[in-house]
Amino acid sequence: MCRTGHQSDPPEADDEMASDAAFTALLEDSAEELYESAPCGYLSTLMDGTIAKVNATLLGWLGLEREAVVGRMRFTDLLTVGGKLYHETHFAPLLRMQGRISGIALEVKQTGGARMPVLVSSVVKHGSTGEPLLIRTTVFDARDRRAYEEELLRGRKAAEEAHRQAEADRARLQDALAVLQQSLLPATLPPVPGVETAAHYHTAHPDRLGGDFYDVFPVDGKRFAFFLGDVCGKGPQAAAVTSLTRYTLRAAAVHDSDPVSALTTLNKVLHERYAGSGDPRYCTAVFGTLEPDPGTGQVAIHLASGGHPPVLVLRADGTTDFLPTPGGLLVGILPSAPFVTATTVLDPGDTLLLYTDGLTEARTGEDRDSLYGYEALLAFAAGQAGKPPHAVIQALIGLLDGFGDGLDDDTALLALGAPAPGPATKNAP
Amino acid sequence: MDIDRRNNVTVTGNPQGPTVVLAHGFGCDQNMWRLTVPALAEDYRVVLFDYVGSGRSDLSAFSADRYASLDGYARDVVEVCEALDLRDATFVGHSVSAMIGVLAAGMAPERIGALVMVAPSPRYIDDDGYRGGFSAEDIDELLGSLESNYLGWSAAMAPVIMGNAERPELGEELKNSFCATDPDMARVFAQTTFLSDSRDDLKGVRVPTLILECTHDVIAPREVGAFVHQAIPGSTLVTLDATGHCPHLSAPEATNEAITGFLAGLR
Amino acid sequence: MSPLKVTTRDAETGPVLEIVGELDYANAGELRDLLATITLQPGQRFVVDLSRMEFCDSSGITALIAAHSLAQEAQADIVLAGVPANTLRILRIVGLDQIFTLYPDRDSAVRSLDERR
Repeated sequence: MCRTGHQSDPPEADDEMASDAAFTALLEDSAEELYESAPCGYLSTLMDGTIAKVNATLLGWLGLEREAVVGRMRFTDLLTVGGKLYHETHFAPLLRMQGRISGIALEVKQTGGARMPVLVSSVVKHGSTGEPLLIRTTVFDARDRRAYEEELLRGRKAAEEAHRQAEADRARLQDALAVLQQSLLPATLPPVPGVETAAHYHTAHPDRLGGDFYDVFPVDGKRFAFFLGDVCGKGPQAAAVTSLTRYTLRAAAVHDSDPVSALTTLNKVLHERYAGSGDPRYCTAVFGTLEPDPGTGQVAIHLASGGHPPVLVLRADGTTDFLPTPGGLLVGILPSAPFVTATTVLDPGDTLLLYTDGLTEARTGEDRDSLYGYEALLAFAAGQAGKPPHAVIQALIGLLDGFGDGLDDDTALLALGAPAPGPATKNAP
Repeated sequence: MDIDRRNNVTVTGNPQGPTVVLAHGFGCDQNMWRLTVPALAEDYRVVLFDYVGSGRSDLSAFSADRYASLDGYARDVVEVCEALDLRDATFVGHSVSAMIGVLAAGMAPERIGALVMVAPSPRYIDDDGYRGGFSAEDIDELLGSLESNYLGWSAAMAPVIMGNAERPELGEELKNSFCATDPDMARVFAQTTFLSDSRDDLKGVRVPTLILECTHDVIAPREVGAFVHQAIPGSTLVTLDATGHCPHLSAPEATNEAITGFLAGLR
Repeated sequence: MSPLKVTTRDAETGPVLEIVGELDYANAGELRDLLATITLQPGQRFVVDLSRMEFCDSSGITALIAAHSLAQEAQADIVLAGVPANTLRILRIVGLDQIFTLYPDRDSAVRSLDERR
């Protein structure tokens, strides 16, 4: 900087005289000497930029002789082209409007082609009547400082780029997860003549693949199969089990749609695949078939459960109860497992409701310390009895929303109903 | 949308007089016209504004897409004219604004009746047989300069960004930052300004046009002034004895005289 | 919520593991890790005492199944003692009440094997 340091007082009175004399001698020829060899460049120009005076320091930086500069060059001639543009669009107008400008980063050209980063400040000197006379400019060496600033800018750019990249990666991963999650579930349920269907899947964590699953598909001319279940655990490993489970059940039903046979096949596949792996994987599942009777409007249900919570039957007359399947074991933990069957007939207006334990294990209460539970579910379902499947599912979606952050697990819902007499059959996804 | 607020529109001068719109160029804002306004105020209604991204415009209205072409800025000019329901106004544009004025006059001929082009250039980069004065690398260097002076911008704009608009010292700080612009927005304006090519648009000018050039202007050299003059049918070219790119600041009397003389001839 | 605490001790009949607190997604891994350190001899009885377990979710059930596999591999016996009512209900739903022998408490679990000998 172009400032002299503050001198401290001489310590001894006897030395004072001698020191003063020494300082005076040092400072004697200071005015011209300081101007010429100051640690910064000095420059005076006419208002049109023509250089009228320049100090030796700046000439040294430029590598130019005084004769080549004074009266022959304008200030902008010392600048790089980009610097000229910046000077004309920012520096010169501001200087004109404010009479001064300070600390602008520019680059001057050195002989030999190198560029030197500088910080430039200028003030306009006015005449006695206020007319602008000339421009006084100081030029500071900013090589080190600019290198540092460029590092900062580079760092900022790198951080911005890394951030942008991370966001893009995250978005791509989310998309991939969404596609995978969709592959575990049917996009829409197929129309089932004489049956109304509706389903819902609640994802607890958008970036954590869940392990619940369901499906409905035809098995022969008269019957459809359906299943719903829950794989233990979460994340990609659980999703792999879910995928294996879904396609195993569908394939098994092609050969034999008997519910116990389908679950037995699944049990065998899961046990063989995972029992010896050190990472045992299993699931709970309800598998069933439904056979509509076009004559009566009834639907015959035949199902089996492997360790899954009992399904609910909502009757048109308002009675609602679980269809118990006690004794069915989790699928995949033992080489052979018992599965328990149950049958029922849906009369017109009746609905069968399948769900996973995300619903019954939702945490409720102010402190989120009690579970929603089966009694509460039964009471809620009783309030929906007589409604068609899509209305029952809508009511349950409202219930799930009401749990807020108490619902921390994925939840699958599937409702199958025999349409009540009246308006046309409707299938909702 | 509130155009007045978006473009910080100021209306001054004689409300009964013909309207003159003063448009700043790349770099600063409407304060650039501070020495021009007094010369016009008695006889003319004077409209000033800031382009979005400059001066005290509404920065939230900025769109990198819209302002990636001069058409986006020209649409802003037309919208300012519409908001004030201007007819037959004279548009005075400095630097890149001179070309924005040409485009706006093409979009809304009923609103813009005459053009004054101060230090115009339809194309800054040299091209086959055309000398604009710059290479593409030069423009990259300018963008570098904008970035290097980022810190000065932060210091000036921080109180504005932090919403301390009630602070009295803010006026002072803004006065010291006429050329302060968000660096990202300045970059867009610089790229749009210096990389566009509007040479073909000059032929379409159908209104009386005055071209002002300076004797020594590194941004718009005299060859370019001659090119613009030759391309616009019936235009008038005046060469001001001035150095630099801003004759309205460096040679205000001569500039004002040329503008008022042209305006008087229109009446 | 109480954190999980698991203690082991050796009875004459074999290891006795006591689970105190909540066994859920967050800490079932701890139990799985601890199971890996337990050695069972053929014919031993592995007693899992749940009488002071306050909560068990599906991850906890998975850990119990892992304990069952461990015992099976070692040709040992595994029993659950003092299963709380809520957990018993879950065990019934998933059918595990059929594959675990259940005792009302730890002492009866240990004693019943002695009587059988």
